[in-house]
Amino acid sequence: MSATDKTPAEDPDVCVVGAGPASALLSHCLAKRGHDVVILEAGPRFDLDERIERMKRQIHPDRADNEIWDMGGERDAYTTSGDHSWLINQRRVKGVGGTSLHWGSVVPRLYEKDFEMESRHGIARDWPISYEDLQPYYAEAEQEIGVAGPDDAPFFPPREEEYPMDPLAPSYSDKLFARAGEALDIEVHSMPMAINTGEYDRNECQGYGTCQFVCPSGGKYTADIHVRKAEREGATLITEAVVQRLNHGPAGEEITEAVYETPDGETHRQKADVFVAAAGAYETPRLLFLSESGEYPNGLANSSGTLGKYFMGHPPAGVVGVLPNEETHVDSYGPVVSSGIHQFYEYDDPDDPKRGSVNIFLTNVSGPSPATLAMAEESVGDELLESVDLQFGSTLQANMSVEMLPREDNQITVDDSQTDSYGNPVPDVDISPSEFARRGQVRGTEAVSEIIEEMGGTVVYADGTLTVEHDEMPPIAKGGYHPLGGSRMGEDPAESVVDPNLQTHDLENLYVSGGGVFVTSGASNPTLTIMALSLKAADHIDEQL
Amino acid sequence: MELSRRDALAALSAAGIAATAGCSSLLGDEGTETAAEETDEATATATDAPTDAPTETPADEASSMDTMVALAEVLYPSEVEPTESFVQTYLYGRIYAEEAYAGEVDSGIETLNGLANDEAGDDFHALSADERVSVIENTDLRTGDSVHDGSDVERVNYHLVDELLFAFYSSPVGGEMVGTQNPRGFPGGYGYSPPLDQ
Repeated sequence: MSATDKTPAEDPDVCVVGAGPASALLSHCLAKRGHDVVILEAGPRFDLDERIERMKRQIHPDRADNEIWDMGGERDAYTTSGDHSWLINQRRVKGVGGTSLHWGSVVPRLYEKDFEMESRHGIARDWPISYEDLQPYYAEAEQEIGVAGPDDAPFFPPREEEYPMDPLAPSYSDKLFARAGEALDIEVHSMPMAINTGEYDRNECQGYGTCQFVCPSGGKYTADIHVRKAEREGATLITEAVVQRLNHGPAGEEITEAVYETPDGETHRQKADVFVAAAGAYETPRLLFLSESGEYPNGLANSSGTLGKYFMGHPPAGVVGVLPNEETHVDSYGPVVSSGIHQFYEYDDPDDPKRGSVNIFLTNVSGPSPATLAMAEESVGDELLESVDLQFGSTLQANMSVEMLPREDNQITVDDSQTDSYGNPVPDVDISPSEFARRGQVRGTEAVSEIIEEMGGTVVYADGTLTVEHDEMPPIAKGGYHPLGGSRMGEDPAESVVDPNLQTHDLENLYVSGGGVFVTSGASNPTLTIMALSLKAADHIDEQL
Repeated sequence: MELSRRDALAALSAAGIAATAGCSSLLGDEGTETAAEETDEATATATDAPTDAPTETPADEASSMDTMVALAEVLYPSEVEPTESFVQTYLYGRIYAEEAYAGEVDSGIETLNGLANDEAGDDFHALSADERVSVIENTDLRTGDSVHDGSDVERVNYHLVDELLFAFYSSPVGGEMVGTQNPRGFPGGYGYSPPLDQ
């Protein structure tokens, strides 16, 4: 289909709403098995050639993160009503590839315990599937996207086969962290990264050092790759098709059509046998709420009343240190992350968790780049060089994502007081992280601070989103990363939105794919799990068709 | 230290960027065409350096380049000499929408010359280095906002001043002056790191 033809596909088997990581592998998998798939994507297909320009926006000190991928404005309006402001448009992308265009490509799996928090610890809730159930799909997702990872890293859950590519070599700052960590019995290890070191069918990493939020070379995996592969297998992609609602048949048993609008103002109706809502953790529940009907007055797939509830994130924390008189970035490295620390993922007392799991990633870039520093200064010539030199090169940094427990009152709803560019109520995020996550942040920042001090460095920042005046923090440090929950998975239709195959309990031909189905958050970056779950759902859809 | 066209081409070839933008409006009719086919997907491959790129600047663009080089001379450290070929090749080779950018350069130079004439009675490129620094220091250049679609001066800050600073401080020459061979924004390859005792 041409980019300008926005008319519905004829009689497809499957209609997938969204073209990000929750959609791409699933769509490719189904198309490869001979099913007719149509993908409706609200955003455009971005031109690879534009990525240099987008990277420059990232490096420019006066451009906001949401500008990098053209997010914001009326189309993407939202409100927040919890204790914390919650950044959305600086953390997501609408377009082919979705938020993977912007991600850091760190792809650890969830741990076994993350699926069993209630039975092991009496808190939160068990998933209706185990780590072992998802294990083959993790392996399949890793093969599909190309992960460079460590086969023998400590702490990680069991693996059934080697990673597709050898791990990234440690950077210079990784080595500094590892040497100091060894003295403290804290182990630094490679992290699994979806970055091509030369063996996959996309460009090799070229070392721009800007993976998050733009990879100009294409070495970082982005989900547009599998959307393209799905198209090659016959799938139809319709871009700038903003789905307004899903309609069901008279009996309310099945979805019959997705109603979408295109930039020319036309309204179209896409029919299909099966529908997959894969529009992200915010837009998917909003779409289901907006699709309310006489049969489903509280929104589709919401007979449990849990739609939008048990929303979670990974409250971030970070540590920045300075090593006086030492250059910490003398290498020619590239990827923003190559090593991490998962020693504090498991709890200090395995029987009695009092804090969230901690997933620490050491960054190979710390603070602003030389170009960013230069542009932000007011001087010129030698004075400018001196100023940039003074600010750059002796810093170390670690960031971390932390487990947060699901709570019913943390939720996504729709806010009728404000509408988007289509006249629809916007999503509202009401979230107030708890002491459980806060204590995880403290454990992580303490550990990294100890390592930096062991090096002889000075810690200049060690904090998380739950400690200081959140709204005073710079945007990069604020929350909003890794939105999870809101359409959770479960066996009991009275307490969950989807079943273990991501099929909604209420409508047999409607599936939800994405981070929204997570029952607990764990601390691992969630995208690999989202992709693994989508492949599991694809198997089920294939059986049903 | 002269910043040469070779420095620029080395950077561009590493990135495969020269193939992405025609650059013909700024580099002459021959442009920087390469044998590489453009593709629109992530499996696009890196390309050869445009080793046959032209070195002559068309006459009608000469004064623009004079101004950009004159601006780079005062922005960059005194140790380096930004040649026309560096500015022309490295800077414009990284521009995606080169025609739109050429428009920004033309209008930016007009603004810059207006400021220079008010301040020192001549076009920017005709002023001495000290006079050029004075123009920057006595106006909102550098101290004012830098906005891609802002006022005339804000656009000069964004499209001329910051673009030149990006070109230098995200290049190996600029990076090495502050302690990194591969500053962010430069595609210097991946995976090399010296042992700790270095």
